[in-house]
This record gives sequence, C-alpha cells and structure tokens, in this order.
Amino acid sequence: MSVPHSATGRTAGSLVPEAPAAGRSSGGTGRSGGRDGARRRPRRVGTARALAVLAACTLALLAIVAASLAFGVRSIDPAVVWQAVIGPDAANADHNVVWQLRVPRTVIGLLAGVALGLAGTLIQGVTRNPIADPGLLGLNSGASLAVVLAISFLGVSAPLEYIWFAFGGAAAAAAVVFSIGRGQPVRLALVGAAVTAFITPLIALVLLRDVDAFNQYRFWAVGSLTGRGLEVAAVLWPFILLGAVIAFVLANRLNLIALGDDVANSLGQRVGTTRAVAGLALVLLCGTATALAGPIALVGLVVPHAARRLVGSDYRWIMPTALLLGPVMLLAADVIGRLIVPNSELEAGVVAAFLGAPVLIAIARSRNVAGL
Amino acid sequence: MAMTTDATTRPAADLADVRAGVAAVRRRNRMRLALTLGIGTVVAAVFAVIALSSGAASLTPDRVLATLFGQGDRTENLVVFTLRLPRILAALFVGAAFGLAGAVFQAVLRNPLASPDILGVSAGASLGAVWAILGLGLAGAVVSGFALAGGIAVAAVIWATAWRQGLHGIRFVLVGVGLAYVCGSLIAWLLARAEVRQAQAALLWTVGSVADVRGDALALLMIGVTIGCLLVALVSRGLPVLALGDDHATSLGVRSSLRRGILLLVAVLLIAVATSVAGPIAFVALIAPAIARRLVDDGSAALTASVMTGAVLTLGSDVIGQFALPQFTAPVGIVTGLIGAPYLLWLLARTERRGSGRKAVA
Repeated sequence: MSVPHSATGRTAGSLVPEAPAAGRSSGGTGRSGGRDGARRRPRRVGTARALAVLAACTLALLAIVAASLAFGVRSIDPAVVWQAVIGPDAANADHNVVWQLRVPRTVIGLLAGVALGLAGTLIQGVTRNPIADPGLLGLNSGASLAVVLAISFLGVSAPLEYIWFAFGGAAAAAAVVFSIGRGQPVRLALVGAAVTAFITPLIALVLLRDVDAFNQYRFWAVGSLTGRGLEVAAVLWPFILLGAVIAFVLANRLNLIALGDDVANSLGQRVGTTRAVAGLALVLLCGTATALAGPIALVGLVVPHAARRLVGSDYRWIMPTALLLGPVMLLAADVIGRLIVPNSELEAGVVAAFLGAPVLIAIARSRNVAGL
Repeated sequence: MAMTTDATTRPAADLADVRAGVAAVRRRNRMRLALTLGIGTVVAAVFAVIALSSGAASLTPDRVLATLFGQGDRTENLVVFTLRLPRILAALFVGAAFGLAGAVFQAVLRNPLASPDILGVSAGASLGAVWAILGLGLAGAVVSGFALAGGIAVAAVIWATAWRQGLHGIRFVLVGVGLAYVCGSLIAWLLARAEVRQAQAALLWTVGSVADVRGDALALLMIGVTIGCLLVALVSRGLPVLALGDDHATSLGVRSSLRRGILLLVAVLLIAVATSVAGPIAFVALIAPAIARRLVDDGSAALTASVMTGAVLTLGSDVIGQFALPQFTAPVGIVTGLIGAPYLLWLLARTERRGSGRKAVA
C-alpha cells in the first residue's frame, strides 16, 4: 500500500521544479516535508509578489515586441519604426518592411507563444508531469504527418488549409499518447518519443517519393514565424482565445489535481472530466500553434517551469504568467535568430530548441526524475 | 524454510540432483543457442537468395547459386557480385553491429530502452552527416567521418550531463531525447536552406540506407565490425555478472565500472562505424537484442544471438523495402523504423499492465 502512495506523492511533488543549481529555500514549506502526497502543500507566494511578477512579465513582453519590430536583417532606425507603427506611409520602404515583414511575424509569435505556453502548462498540470510538452508528447509529429499527407496526396498548398490537418493530426497523436502513456510521467514522454519514431519514417517515406511535397514541407517543418501572413492569424486567433479561456477556467482544478487523483476525487472534483476538457483545449492550442509556426519544440516545456519558479505552484497565477512568458520566449528566440547569423536567419524553432534543451537536461538531472 | 532443512538432512543426494539439473539446463541453453543461430543462418540465406535473384534483371535461384560458385556468365557476375552482393553484405554487417551494440547497451545499462535511437547518438550522427553534405558541400567518405564525429560528440555530451553518481538509465534517455530535439531542429534548418534535391539526398542519409555501400567503405565496415565483435567477446566474459548490478558484480570480484566503460565504448564505436557507412538505421539496436533474448531465453544478455538477429532483421527489412512498394525502393531505415516503433510502444504498454513499469524503464 505504501508504494503507490509515495509514488503519487513524488509525482505531485515533482510539479515544483527542482533544478540542481537552485539554492532557493524560501517558501518551500511543503516541498521537502511529508512523503505522503495528501499532506504535501504546494508552495504559495504572496499576491503582491505575484502581481509584481506579472507586471515584470508584461514589461518584458512589451520590450521583446519592441525588439521584434526594431531588429532585423535590414537595419531601420528605431525612430522610423515608431513612426511606421503610429502612422504608416505606404511610399516609405522602411515602413513597408515593418508592416509587411515584422508586424506579421511579431503577431504570429505572440499568438503561437501564448498557445504554446498555455498548452505546456495544461499538459504538465493535467498529467502531473514535469517533462510534458507538445513536442515531447508527439503532438507535433502527428500534426506534421497530417500536413505532409495533405500536401502530397490532396495537393493542399496554402497555410490556411494546413490548419485543419494540423488540428486533426495533433488530436490523433494526443489520443494515442495519452491512452498508452497514461499516468506515469516518464512513460508519457517515452510514448511520445515512440509515436514520433513511428511517424518520422512515414513522413520520410512520403517526402522521399515526392520532391515537391518535400520542398513545401521543409519550410513548414523548421518552425518559423515567417511566411504566414496576418490573414492566417486573423482566422486562427479565436481558437487560441477559446483554448486560453478553458485553460484559465481549469486553473483551480489543476491545483486540486496536483494533490493527486484520489484527493481531487474525494474533494468532489471530476478528474476525468477535467482531463477531457483540458485535452480539448490542448488540441486547440497545440494545433493552432503548429499551424501558425510549424512544429516548435520545448517552448511548452520551459515556460511553465519558469512560471512556477516565479509565482509558486498556484495555477491561478501560473496561467497568466505562462500566457505572458510564452510569447516572450518565442519572440526572444526569433529575435536572437535574426541577429545571431550575419546576413541570414536562424528560425525561431531552432533557437527555441537550443534554449529549451538545457532546461530539459536540468529537469532530467534533478532528483525527482532520477528517483523514478 | 522447509527447503533448507531438507537440504541439510540430505546434502549428498541433493548436490548430485542440483549438479544434474545445472548440467541439463546448460545443455538446453547450448541447444537453444545453436538452434537459434542455425535457424538465423537459414533465414538469412533465404533472404540473400531472394535479394540476389530479384530486381530489374531477375535471375533464377539456381543461376544465383551457380554464379556464387563461379559458374556465371559476365552479366550474371556483374549483377550478383557488383550490384547485389555488396548491398547484402552491408545489410548483414551493419545489422550485426547494431544488434551487438544494442545488446551491450541494454545489458550494461540494465535498460531495455537503451539504444542509439533513444539515446540521441543517431541524431548526432545524422546532424554531422547533414551538415557535411549541405553545410560544407562534401560527399563520400568525408561525410562518414562527420557522422562519426557527430555521433561521438553527442554521446560525450550525454555522458557528461547524465552522469551523476553513476549511470541512471532513465536520465540517459531523457538527456538523449533533449539532445535529439536540438539535433533535429538543426537538421530541419539545414534541410530548409539547401537546394531541394541535395536536401532530399541528405534526408535519405538521415533515414539510413545500405543501397550504396560498396568498395572501401564496405571493406572498412566489415573489418571494423569484426574487430568490434571480437573485442566484445573478449571483454564480456563477466557480463552475466555485470547485469546483476554494480554492487553484486563488485562483491563477486568483477571490476565493474572499468569493464562496463570498455564495453560501452566498444558499443559506441560499433554504432559509429555502422552509422557512418549506412546512416542511423532506426531501432535495429533496440529490437534485435530483445528478439535475441526471447529466442535464447536463458536470462543472459544474448550477445551472440543479437549479432544474428540484427543481421537477419536488417537484411530482411532491406529486402522488404526493395520490393514491398511498386516503383519505389524504400530505404531500409524506413522499414526498421515502422517495425521498431510499435515494438517500443508495446514494450511500454506491457510494462504498464504488469504494473512494474518503473523497474522496466528505469
């Protein structure tokens, strides 16, 4: 009897990230306390501190949006950028660059970042899994396969038409991964890897036969904020809004799930219903993000961990923090990618993987996962 | 307790019984191993004859055999020795290397999931090769060198980051998955920037194919794999003990960390040689040892049988890939990937049903 108990306790406890280098001990009351999951109290921070964090995140977001508009291969004076934003002049080439290139990718980065940040938080909360992420769980590869098949066999070519296939593929992959990998955190990630491993050769098979499909797919697969116009964002924002609303409504329920399924059930919560609704929101958010920016891995992993470190383990504060930090990370990746290679660009997906991998490794090295 | 009293009251009779029992089990195990290897050879031979006789210029099996024994005409010699035999040899040796390396990994790390695919080494090798092909415009043997360097570099990073008071299987796997994402995103980036036909060639490399392994590369592969197998045979005498765990092995007088280190190093080199020649052929290193262990079924690491199952699996997959789809030759890596991923899923699903997932995975 004691084995499953300590197991749930550890899983619930692992929601609080414990990076090895962290020397923080303030407020970590329940973290190292009882081994029993039911008695483990989440770490809370004061409202004042949480509000301060939110304000700081908002400032960071504004700064990164400004940077995203200001920096690029073509150097434009910040004053000119500001003029372009407040009063665009169609005859001015710099203004056109700002409006036709930088504003769309910033908007898409904002939307996709929000979606990935919230999706990662939802997955980690619902599965009590510190290493959950749309990419790690195979949702991206499901979306990729659907898009490849659509391009190759149905002749789909416009990003607006990819969307529905990305949705369907992500939903199917989510269904498979969650039904097989249910419960155990590490296994969920491994099942995600296995599903990805099954889908990758299928994608390669299609792409090796069809050079035209490969030519379209490779630009989508790299994970980029460019190449989609504002019209795609105009179609997709309601999905993200709906997903975000569901995520916020579920925040308090995630707090109960963090205590373990048994506790949540005994407190009158329908864990199964919560999981199903969260799954719907996940598919909405991941599918949209993938349709907007391609398969971007590890943003959904890093953002919730960062949010937890900042505002504690209360999902009512984590959600808004993740909402702000998601676009901060994605746009930062995009801006870094623009600046790091002279006369060229690294796509946001590549930079995001580089930013995210050390975090994944740090989590893997932490005591919680090693103890599994 | 009853057993102990029995044993003390009738020691002589029991000892003889036990000795006879052990001898019987050993005989049975040797029989099973011999049977496994025999059947494996027959299956490999059948696949080889199929591969030699089918294709654009089809030969009858008896002509194939005649050609092999030096009775063929010029065309038959060309088709069999120059076009088809190198591919078969490459498949056999690459498969043997992956099978043995996977068996070593899984035994030493005590983790049925340990394989270069899961650990990110394949991704590193792919990145090295794709960078050489697309980033530097290289071709031929140099690409293999870059693949080798990439795979070893990623292995080194995994080693450095996953080592914390010992090798924990699950940490290895997670760090490998993380690095695989970094490599994958860089590969996607390189593929998106290159000329499309070249990019497709690089994509083919990342899938893994034995179609164009011949000449010096094939000779290098055969020599390297043979040396690797001999080294493993030499070092692995204590491996059944090693599989019990560090503490047991040390208490039995086996210097475990040194041997484990050497074995893992040889396994990494085997994978590096095979990958640099044929690309990262998915999951052979994961499945072949699992099949071998089931066939031999004596609780050992089944190293010898893994060599056989790896070779047969790769050759069979290559034959299937060549003839399964009309008008398209699927590279061997696609076939093994499609076979291997469901096995991985099954492995994970089964461990959950048994409720012993933690043990099996960690």
